[in-house]
Amino acid sequence: MNSNRHSYRVGHGAVLTALAMIFSYVEAILPFNIGIPGVKLGIANIVIIIALYRYGIRMAFTVNIVRIIVSGLLFSGAFGIIYSLAGGILSFAVMLLIKRFRCFSIVGVSMAGGVFHNLGQLCTAGLIVSNMKVFVYFPVLVFSGVATGFIIGIAAGMVLDRLDRAGI
Amino acid sequence: MKLIKKADIVLAVFLIVCGLAASFWISAGGTDVHDGRVVVHVNEKYYGSWPLDEDREILIERDGHTNKITIKDGYAQMTFSDCHNQDCVKQGRIHDRSKSIICLPNKVVVEVISGESEYKVIAG
Repeated sequence: MNSNRHSYRVGHGAVLTALAMIFSYVEAILPFNIGIPGVKLGIANIVIIIALYRYGIRMAFTVNIVRIIVSGLLFSGAFGIIYSLAGGILSFAVMLLIKRFRCFSIVGVSMAGGVFHNLGQLCTAGLIVSNMKVFVYFPVLVFSGVATGFIIGIAAGMVLDRLDRAGI
Repeated sequence: MKLIKKADIVLAVFLIVCGLAASFWISAGGTDVHDGRVVVHVNEKYYGSWPLDEDREILIERDGHTNKITIKDGYAQMTFSDCHNQDCVKQGRIHDRSKSIICLPNKVVVEVISGESEYKVIAG
């Protein structure tokens, strides 16, 4: 029974990671481009949020890290991984914190995640070029983080709702 | 499960206010992004440098040649040259860092250094 449960989690983790990578790929080939570099939807975060709500912290964190490293190697290279890891880990930590407060729904968690993903990347950019001027970008990335986080949160909420009804 | 709760709206408003505050702070000059300088070399020697955000005219008279550089609205332009090909005048105005106007006959080089930051955030 115990090993059965274990393989269940391994299988689901693999499927979630694959799904998150497909979303990363979709985003890489289908640039959601509104003319501002750095602004993107973050579709892969749907998977992370669903993993966080359905399977718990460890599953979500593992899927997140594996997805960032593998899709980084496939689509963007080492520098992309550094940026993505900074954004991914910071946003994950903040999402955990927000989720702790029961008053926030999945949309709030997603919005905070979106904003802090951008903030993490901005801090990395500031460190790498050792110039804090990159923070002139901050307002733009806050607004875009709220907007994309809202969309992603709604989508993740709808998927979770359907998963519940389907009894998966 | 309710999709949007009151706390979410509060969070969104809070974040947007933070963003607005930051943009006001930046536009109020909290961080100076226009620190570009115009550097002029004549005859391969340093002639002088001036900030890009102060309008002025620089007249260069050397070895019987005359060049006039105009800095206006954050752009530098060679507005007059007595050289024969007038390439430098036709080149128009420059603003970005690592761009330059070169008047070969009169040996005048105008460049902009460390202009408005053009860092692009690489998002992965």
